[in-house]
Amino acid sequence: MTKSKPDSESTERRWINHMMIQGWAAVAFWMTFGLLLEGLLGYKIPAYLDDAERREMMRLAHTHGTLLGIVLVAAALCGERLAVAPARAIRFALRLGSLLMPVGFLLAGIWHPEGDPGAAIWLVPPSALLAIFGVIGLALCARKKG
Amino acid sequence: MVLKSLGLTIIALFIVGLIVLAMTPDYSRVREGHADAGYLDSAKCISCHTDHHRSWARTFHSRMTQDARPETVQGDFENDNVFEYLGIKARMEKRGATFTMSLTFPDGRTESHTIERTVGSRRIEQYVTRQNDQHIRLPLAYDLVNRRWMSLNGSFFHPDSDNYFQHRAQWDANCVFCHNVKAQPNFNPRSGQFKTEVAELGIACGACHGQSAAHAEEAASPLVRTLWRTGTSAEKSIINPSKLTPERSLMVCGHCHGQRVPQPLDRIQEILGRGDPYNAGEDLSAFYTPVSHETVLQSKNGPYSFANRFWANGSPRLTAYEYQGVLRSACFTKGERERRINCLTCHSMHEGDIRGQIREENRTNKPCLECHQQYETPAALTKHTGHILDSPASNCYTCHMPRVVYGIMSVHRTHDITIPDPQLTISQSVPNACNQCHLEKSVNWSIAAVKRLWPDRFASAQPSADEQFNLPEGPRALFAGDALIRALAAEALGGGEGMNPDKEWARPFLIEAFADNYPIVRFFAANSLARNYERIPKPDYLATAEARQRMLAQWREVTAPDLLKQTTVFAEMLRRRRKDVDIEVGE
Repeated sequence: MTKSKPDSESTERRWINHMMIQGWAAVAFWMTFGLLLEGLLGYKIPAYLDDAERREMMRLAHTHGTLLGIVLVAAALCGERLAVAPARAIRFALRLGSLLMPVGFLLAGIWHPEGDPGAAIWLVPPSALLAIFGVIGLALCARKKG
Repeated sequence: MVLKSLGLTIIALFIVGLIVLAMTPDYSRVREGHADAGYLDSAKCISCHTDHHRSWARTFHSRMTQDARPETVQGDFENDNVFEYLGIKARMEKRGATFTMSLTFPDGRTESHTIERTVGSRRIEQYVTRQNDQHIRLPLAYDLVNRRWMSLNGSFFHPDSDNYFQHRAQWDANCVFCHNVKAQPNFNPRSGQFKTEVAELGIACGACHGQSAAHAEEAASPLVRTLWRTGTSAEKSIINPSKLTPERSLMVCGHCHGQRVPQPLDRIQEILGRGDPYNAGEDLSAFYTPVSHETVLQSKNGPYSFANRFWANGSPRLTAYEYQGVLRSACFTKGERERRINCLTCHSMHEGDIRGQIREENRTNKPCLECHQQYETPAALTKHTGHILDSPASNCYTCHMPRVVYGIMSVHRTHDITIPDPQLTISQSVPNACNQCHLEKSVNWSIAAVKRLWPDRFASAQPSADEQFNLPEGPRALFAGDALIRALAAEALGGGEGMNPDKEWARPFLIEAFADNYPIVRFFAANSLARNYERIPKPDYLATAEARQRMLAQWREVTAPDLLKQTTVFAEMLRRRRKDVDIEVGE
């Protein structure tokens, strides 16, 4: 747990590929979602426009989803240059956090009570911690190389 | 590496947690030691109760008392802003963000008042100024319905008077209690001065939900909120009138919609000093007793009775006595404990038309049918009412809540839900529901009708031998009744709300009623004349007697002269039977 063994080259390529695919997929999905929000805004759809909580949550889902997708792509690009591959726990945390955080925002915006996000918002803090943990882990790997 | 990452993540979490906790507001000591301890400003409720705040903000309650600012003042201070009454010329002006009312007296003296606050936002807007650190209600108000300036003399049940300042009142000792949240007049009996404070101007969240500091403290935790939202734990630190028992829920509204005296009476010192002790959700009867027909107070000037504010049978004649009305109703007294009628049976503070705050479906028979299901089918309803299905009489409230209550330049339905009985008009001068619509029929006609329609209930009902009760009740009440009865009749003869008198028939009576010596009766007569014949401008009920006669000339031209003569004779005959009672309004 404390020191991860360097993965074999094929395993290393695999995590980089997986992270790259998830990253680009997330960017594509959440950018498309952004287009949907623009449509809802443009056509003044009341279900979106008149619900401040929903707008806030969906905007957060869109921005977090897109940015975390880019973080995954960046992590994958950096992965090839890292001397030490990040531990599986770090990679897993980053990928899971990047997936769950925007989903949490999205679901909390779709179903929510007055003045508060929906219960799905509880996905966000743990996934934020997972993502932060993953990013810190990657930063430490990069530092080690430097 | 993993442990190091974990450690750094925990440090980041710790720092974020500290920042959030440091920024969490502390409401625990809000207004500590004051009567409004724990009351929060409604703006603090927005972050969680956005929709409820928005739905409240659109109501007249929210704008009941406001600081006078360009965005709050509705009166015309710039164009039609001069009003002359009793020889005193008033000029209302807006200078920048300041509003003034300047009075020029016949002897050339002038006085100018800066308006500090407005009271009312639906029917009339009253103005409060500050004099020697006290808040005083000014003598003129703005009629928001008719878009004109008016003297408050024209809104009370007193005859024409030479006293321009007849209804000058101290805001700190009167209006402040019900038009704001948790008033504290801080009256000093030695100096006779008030140092009034309120938790919030207007009728805001605290008025119905009580103290919210503890609730806001708890709700600051997202975990607590989630547990409340999911029903895992119950929220107990805030009052929700819809979750109280019907009695306690009724008390929340009855606190202001039920004029009251302190219990015990000497508690008045505490109320005028420290402030109103009642908080929403508490037992109102522990602090106050609702005034009734029998209430008599001992004052410096001798005994003071509240009887004039009620009909002889004890039913309220004025608004702000709805609590007393409901308490008298069988729907409350005989209702099953948890299904007893209360304000929220029909009204909703956050839904529906802001006029009346009644949900649209509750403007039908729906609330009554919750208990009285036997009248649900059209056949059962028409059998019960004895009227055709499409008539206004098919609405329960038309007959069981007739329009026999006055409040702020308007006629309202009583909240004393009763079985209509025309005999009460004979025995106790209470206007009856039948003749509210059948204005051209007599009370004795109504008695014969109820005997025919509901023979079991009215088997022993007898017509009156007094000849006046063979006369059409609309005009009879218009001339023989006291000022409030006359005002109700004047309003009814104008039509609307199911009443549809023949216009040619009603017009001479309304012209004659415009000669009344009570300005409030003339107010309703003028409105009804305007509805009766729209081509002639509405006469001014506050104009001088000579000016009013001139205005009526046009109306006389469109009315048959012999009808006018007959009406004058008819009115004179009935006026001899009149017994006027003036009505004090206020606390």
